Amino acid sequence: MSDPVAQLVFLIIKAVAMPLIIITMVAFAIYFERKFAGFFQARVGPTYLGPWGSLQSFGDVFKLLSKEDVIPLRSDKPVFKLAPYIAFIPAFLVMAVLPFGPVGGEPNLFGHRFDYVIADFDAGVVLFLAMGAIAVYGVVLAGWSSNSNYSLLGGLRAGAQMISYELAMGFSVAGVMVMAGSMSLVEIVDGQKGAFWDWYWIPQIVGGIVFFIASIAELNRTPFDLAEAEQELVAGHLTEYSGMRWGMFYLAEYVNMIVVSGIVSTLYFGGWRAPFESWNVIPGPIWLLLKICALIFIYMWIRWTIFRYRYSQLMSIGWKVLLPLALANLAVTAVVVSVVG
Amino acid sequence: MNDAIDSATIHAREADSTSPDTPPRPNVEQLRERKARTRQHLETGGDIMTISMGPQHPSTHGVFQMVLDLDGEVIVDLRPEIGNLHRGVEKLCEHRTYHQIIPLTDRLDYNSAFAMNHGFCEAAEKLMGVEVPPRARYIRTIAHELSRLANHILWLGVHIMDLGTQTFFVICFRDREYVLDLFEMLTGARLTHSFARIGGVAKDLPDGFEQRCRKVIEFLPKRIAEYERIVKHNRIYYKRAKNVGIFTSEDCYAWRVTGPTLRAAGVARDLRKDEPYAAYDEVDFEVAVEYNADVYDRFLVRMKEMRESCKIIRQCLDGLPGGPYLARDAAHSLPVKRDVLRDSAAMIQDFYQVFQGPQAPKGEVYRAIEVPKGEMGVYIRSEGGAKPARVRFTTPSFYHGQAMPALSIGETVPDLVAIFASVDVVLGDCDK
Amino acid sequence: MSSARFVRPSPPAGSSAKKDRTTARTATSLAPTLATAAAKLRRRFGARLLEEKESFGELTFVIAPGDWMRVLAFCKTAPDLAFDQLDCLMGDHLPERADTPFAVLAHLTSHVHGHRLRVKTFLAEGGPLPTVTGLWPSAGFDERETWEMFGIVFQDHPDLRRLLTAEDFRGFPLRKDFPLEGNVGGRVRTDLRGKI
Repeated sequence: MSDPVAQLVFLIIKAVAMPLIIITMVAFAIYFERKFAGFFQARVGPTYLGPWGSLQSFGDVFKLLSKEDVIPLRSDKPVFKLAPYIAFIPAFLVMAVLPFGPVGGEPNLFGHRFDYVIADFDAGVVLFLAMGAIAVYGVVLAGWSSNSNYSLLGGLRAGAQMISYELAMGFSVAGVMVMAGSMSLVEIVDGQKGAFWDWYWIPQIVGGIVFFIASIAELNRTPFDLAEAEQELVAGHLTEYSGMRWGMFYLAEYVNMIVVSGIVSTLYFGGWRAPFESWNVIPGPIWLLLKICALIFIYMWIRWTIFRYRYSQLMSIGWKVLLPLALANLAVTAVVVSVVG
Repeated sequence: MNDAIDSATIHAREADSTSPDTPPRPNVEQLRERKARTRQHLETGGDIMTISMGPQHPSTHGVFQMVLDLDGEVIVDLRPEIGNLHRGVEKLCEHRTYHQIIPLTDRLDYNSAFAMNHGFCEAAEKLMGVEVPPRARYIRTIAHELSRLANHILWLGVHIMDLGTQTFFVICFRDREYVLDLFEMLTGARLTHSFARIGGVAKDLPDGFEQRCRKVIEFLPKRIAEYERIVKHNRIYYKRAKNVGIFTSEDCYAWRVTGPTLRAAGVARDLRKDEPYAAYDEVDFEVAVEYNADVYDRFLVRMKEMRESCKIIRQCLDGLPGGPYLARDAAHSLPVKRDVLRDSAAMIQDFYQVFQGPQAPKGEVYRAIEVPKGEMGVYIRSEGGAKPARVRFTTPSFYHGQAMPALSIGETVPDLVAIFASVDVVLGDCDK
Repeated sequence: MSSARFVRPSPPAGSSAKKDRTTARTATSLAPTLATAAAKLRRRFGARLLEEKESFGELTFVIAPGDWMRVLAFCKTAPDLAFDQLDCLMGDHLPERADTPFAVLAHLTSHVHGHRLRVKTFLAEGGPLPTVTGLWPSAGFDERETWEMFGIVFQDHPDLRRLLTAEDFRGFPLRKDFPLEGNVGGRVRTDLRGKI
């Protein structure tokens, strides 16, 4: 089999397997969210479907599929139907550039090189930021097209919040890009050779924390979930969605969470690298998976513990605290890198 | 109640009622002024959006509707609309004997049902001149303070849930379970107790209640300390609750806002001290007062009230007198059930009280007590006989809901949620 | 934010409840501040106070509807009375009174002195009675409910419409001639069976 054909076959396999794996992870992430919520709240969470309730998400999917599809009468129907997909799909595009194992080097599979990334894109980080921006469209269009006051308020709030925090994210990521000298995610991971103390989370600690907090805002999770603040706006931009359309938004949130966890572990925690050099016998994807799971646990932990900020306080944190910190981080990184070399 | 009604009957009945029903036209001057205000606001660039927050809404604690006029996120006008839970309790009371009214009062503020029973019984006893024996007074105090604990724990959980965490709500409900278990042991029901009777209480303290109660009130202050640790020094809560929803004492008097909101405004008014009833003048407790009149202070007042409740219950258990738990007043109160099956006089009294009802003298009384949400007053007018001629419950949530415009015009929507949770409106209390 | 620091004066020694249990419970004598307030009212209004009754430790004054505003304003503003809180404004229907079957009662409380008062007036059907929302804004809902339940109109009320019952409700429920089960009958509309 010649190399282009082999690469094509590999590509098809990766492109098909990756979304399937992500969706399965989402199903279990939803289950674990509810289980963790239960344990944090001194109760047990789902226990009914499957061993320890592990098949709960699948039951939920069946339930949502069987619901009536309610579309508000005076809503903008094409946009209303399109919005969940706009929220859903960009995350998958980011997964396409995320490396889950070593890229480049010797042929390692049946005489052909199997790169552990779907697309080794030169500007992977920029793609991530761009896709984050497109996901804002999903939220704002959902709020706008529902033709309801609550949805509009929620959608606009979410849009403003996400845009503000994207700036802080972008600047903190710029620090990593300066350290690695490249915008490609593959090269950023390659630059984090060595054990866990050589990864970027130590030199970029400030930027890492800023990025993490800003990512919670991007994901619209507590304490930044004003868009869906149940107590204030019923469900914000999701108010008029029911059944599987709502399920798509819900899935989108978890896919985004998994992808952002993947990005955080790639940028700051060495991606597919093992914490110690000698542990690299265990393949890269497993390490990435473990790091993603740890970060997801931290996101969930924060969600079930911390109160929600008021909207004005949230925006002031984004603009007055995180953005200056990210800029300072970038400046210091640039100076240090240019001096040390 | 009638069953099969056809439209002919309905039309006939509607045509029959001749009462002039349309209210007088609202004041034209006020309408013009309101229109001018709105127009001026629109002309200066504001764009008002009218949103109806409620009646179905996760944070309005029941079916309370607030029609908001919003300029962005700032509230320009708020119009509360109540009545979705109106069950006509006052009309029902006129067709029931005094004993039969007690279960109706349960459903007023169902979070602290015993307090409502107690209020009605105090008013009825004042009317009929029934002297409640000491043991019954102490048991009533214990039950009243337990209902205060239940109410405040629920309030805390809901208040914090409105601000974002559901975890805290579940934790509070778990602690409330201990209090509800005590109520179940004492009264047989977790929520609608119907425990007070005219002349005392329904049953004596069961075996094992005292030990269990002591264990609970030893455990709860530690939980209250933990709630304070989580909430009081929490930076996010502080930012959302400090200087939000300030309501001074004059505002409280004008809008008839009582209870923790009034005490957070610096007024040390607590009817348990000012017009004592049950055993409150025989126990030693402090009135919780704060001076900043904002949401944060209402939280602090309620935490202190919870601690004082534990103290009161402990003192009552320590000093519990012996004796009957129901007054031996043949004309007005039910007899002790144990005697009914053995003693013919008690059987006659029981028969008479259940079938005829207590005979109240002619007159009218108004008695107010300090229920967990504020001051509840009960007005009873009697023309003699077993059924009252008019009963009126002036419940705190009715007035707290009415005060919402004064509390929240000028604030933003998230602050409105915090304020509404802090004044503690429950719709059963509000709509009667 | 004035008068945020306010501490209630301790109750006068004579009415301390700890001492004499029976009088506290079945108090038949008035508190001294209330006696002063009543004397002041009597001096000011004299014959306009149609009736004065003292029962169960409470004081009730009956006045004519024309004096409603005057008396209540005096109750609020006079320093000896200082009734700063309107606990309850309610209506009542006494069909045995032929000419003025409706009553409006105002329960007043004073935080400064700690005493209570009831002011009552009797009206013919329909009222009208001036609104006291200018004195105590909490009367807004009270008066709406009184109109809704009894049909007593309050002049110059900012928003007199149905409060607790549905908007299309007809009749005044708490009147004694309004049946308990209402006039519209049961909700079972068998005539609409098969049509909806």
